[in-house]
Parts: sequence; structure tokens; C-alpha cells
Amino acid sequence: MTEENNILEKKVMEEIKSGRVKLRSRYVFLAEKLGLGSALVLSVILAVLFFNLVLFYLKASGGLGYLSFGSIGVFAFLESFPYFLVITFIIFIVLAAVLIKKSELIYKKPFGYVAMGLILLIFFSGGILTFTNVAQRIENASYRRHPAGAFFRPFLHRDLGGEQRGIMGRVVEVGTDYITVETPFGIKKMDIQNARFPMHESFRPGIFIKAVGDNNDDFFKARDIRPIKEDEAMMIRRGVGEKFGDFIPRMNIR
Amino acid sequence: MPYENITDEQLVEMVRENNKEMYSELIKRYQTKLGNYLRKFIKNNYELEDVLQDVFIKAYKNLNAFDTNKKFSSWIYRIAHNEAINQLKKSRNKILSLDEHDWQIIDEKIDIKDMVDHQLSKIKIEKCLTEMKEKYRQPLLLYFFEQKTYEEISDILLIPRSTVGILIMRGKNYLKEKLSDK
Repeated sequence: MTEENNILEKKVMEEIKSGRVKLRSRYVFLAEKLGLGSALVLSVILAVLFFNLVLFYLKASGGLGYLSFGSIGVFAFLESFPYFLVITFIIFIVLAAVLIKKSELIYKKPFGYVAMGLILLIFFSGGILTFTNVAQRIENASYRRHPAGAFFRPFLHRDLGGEQRGIMGRVVEVGTDYITVETPFGIKKMDIQNARFPMHESFRPGIFIKAVGDNNDDFFKARDIRPIKEDEAMMIRRGVGEKFGDFIPRMNIR
Repeated sequence: MPYENITDEQLVEMVRENNKEMYSELIKRYQTKLGNYLRKFIKNNYELEDVLQDVFIKAYKNLNAFDTNKKFSSWIYRIAHNEAINQLKKSRNKILSLDEHDWQIIDEKIDIKDMVDHQLSKIKIEKCLTEMKEKYRQPLLLYFFEQKTYEEISDILLIPRSTVGILIMRGKNYLKEKLSDK
């Protein structure tokens, strides 16, 4: 064994002395650590931001309002649910957890606790952010040619309004058997022949409504229609405002 | 030059300060220990020598990544452990190999004298350790045969200290159960 050991030692030392095997610079390790640390911080920040956007979206898109229609509104709610935002949020949490594991920083603590701590931190920070106007500023930027806006646009506009099982928008014309509404994506005609209305409500141009039903190629066949409260579906209100400006009464739209 | 009083970590510092020769002292200190550890996974002598050489070369290359506030032995065992795992993945022969000394350690620590026939016991233990789940086997090998503390095993396997204790206890119970079954 001693002879074998000497041979091994000799071989390794020869490789080192000849220069074929060199010490990797400490700056390489420093750069690796910095890169990993930055990626970790960035993924946690983005997870917090996306969690905040999910909360903001649920509140401001008005999608939760579809649930007030009962079972018929569930599909409309599911259709307008911000899946893309939620999936991206989960991806950033997983990424942060993987980076923590890879960085070998806190292996002394059980990973379950670390993951739980990370999730709580993200939920807490995301919750705190709801008291600021960060999410609304992101939404505003998403309507402009702003680099950050362009990044967030697909996340915020993808599921907004639904439009297959549910629709939200501003009434611009009321006919005997139809209502025309402006949505953030364009003008939509609603067939209201078989729709239920709240008895005490009258729908006039300028007010915002939500409806559930089925979308055809040319019109939306409404089954139930309700007005949107003043402080509800602010994203829809802003989206319509961005696309069509302030409400101007129209006489005829064909 | 007397190296006995110089710690591993001090030797690392010296190597980093361009005193390459000092690395041979680290090789001297660890080649037998790591050789014995790796032998449990690699039976073939040539393969073992190659892997051991890779471990020392890898350790040298990455010496600047080592934090001298921690134990060098845990760090180099971690490298050896990773190499052993890689070798096991490549190798078809995954049977664990114990020598007479290893067998005595197992006998003392788990007290299996009455459970199994002495002549067959070594083969049985080898078989049990081979069949045992990786997560139990690794801490058990480090604890029994390398005499590593829970803290060191935690640093080598990068798992919490409390988990090390649980895995060793479960590994021991598994071993006892299997040996009394057969």
C-alpha cells in the first residue's frame, strides 16, 4: 500500500508541478458565488412581484365577480383566472428553492423548513406590496411602449376579461335585444334575448357591466347580466379607457 | 520539516500561496483514508487508483473554493463521496465490499454476534449494505468506517445534522432487521 501511495502522490504532484493541473482562480469562484447569489435574489424578487401581481389581478380584473352569478359564473371565472401569472410565480419559487439547494448555503437546516420560510417570506413581502401602487404602475406601463411594460404585457392581458364564457366592458349602445359593449380588446355585441337581468337595474350607455353566457363568432349570447360596481374591475375600466378613451355617447353602432 | 503541527487548513493556505510542494503532505494524510473509503464502492484496484487520483486533482484545482474556517477533511471527503457516487452510477458491479476490519467494526457497533452465523456474516452484511437505500448507506459508512461525527457527515453529505442522526438510526435498524431475518 505504501508503494502504491508513493506512486499516486508522485503522479499527482507531477501533474501539478508540470502545470497541467492548475489552481482555479479565486475570482472564478467569487464570480460563481456572485452569479448564483444574484440569480437567487432576482428569482425571489420576481416571485414576490408576481405574487403581488396575482393578488392585484384577482382584485382588479373583476374575474372574482363572475362567481356572483353562481355555478354558471364558475367557468367564466376559471377562464379569466390568471394562469400565466400563477404558473410564472410558481416557476420563480421553484427556481429560488433550486438555487438555495444548489448554493449549499443553508444545508444545516432541513430543506422543508427552508422552503416553508421562503414561501412565507414571498407571501408576506408580496402582501406588503399590495399596500403600494407597484402593481398598478406595472399595469400602466403595460399599455405603453416601456421595456418593463412589454415584459409584463402578456402576463396581465392574456386572460383579462375571458370573453368565451364571460365578458366585461362598458355599454355603448342598448337595443331591444342587444347591448354593445367596449372591452379592452374591442367592441362586442351581446345578444340579450335570453338573458336574465336584475329587476331593479336598467342598463344605459356609459355604465360597466359583466355578463356570463357563450361566445359566438359575431356576438356574445348573454345568459345573465349585472352592472359592475364603481370600485370593481378597475383593470377592465382602465383597459377600456386606454383603448377607447373617455365615454362618448353614440347614436348608432353597426 | 516537521508537518505534524501544521493543520490541514494551514497547509491549504500554504498551497494557495504558491507553495505547491505542500500539497504532497495533504495527499500523504488522506490517500489511505480516502482509499479505504472508496474501496467500499470500487473493488478494482486500477479503477480505485484512477478515482483517487481524480479526487486529489479535483481537490487541488478547486482549492480556492475551500473555506479555511471549515474542516478540510469534510471537504475532501465530499469530493471523494461525489466521485464514488459517479463511479457507482457508471459501474455495473454495485456490490459493497468490506474487509475484515470493517466487519469487526460492524460487529462491535451493531452487536450482531448472536444474530448470524459468523462465517456467513460478512457476505450477508455486504449484501444488506448493498441493498440498503443510498440515503441510509452513505451516512452509515461514514459513521462506522470513517469514524466521522454527525457534524462532519452533515458537511460531507450536505444534509442537516438532525437528519444524519435519523438516517443512521434507520440504517442500523434496517441492518439489524435484515440480519435477523436471514
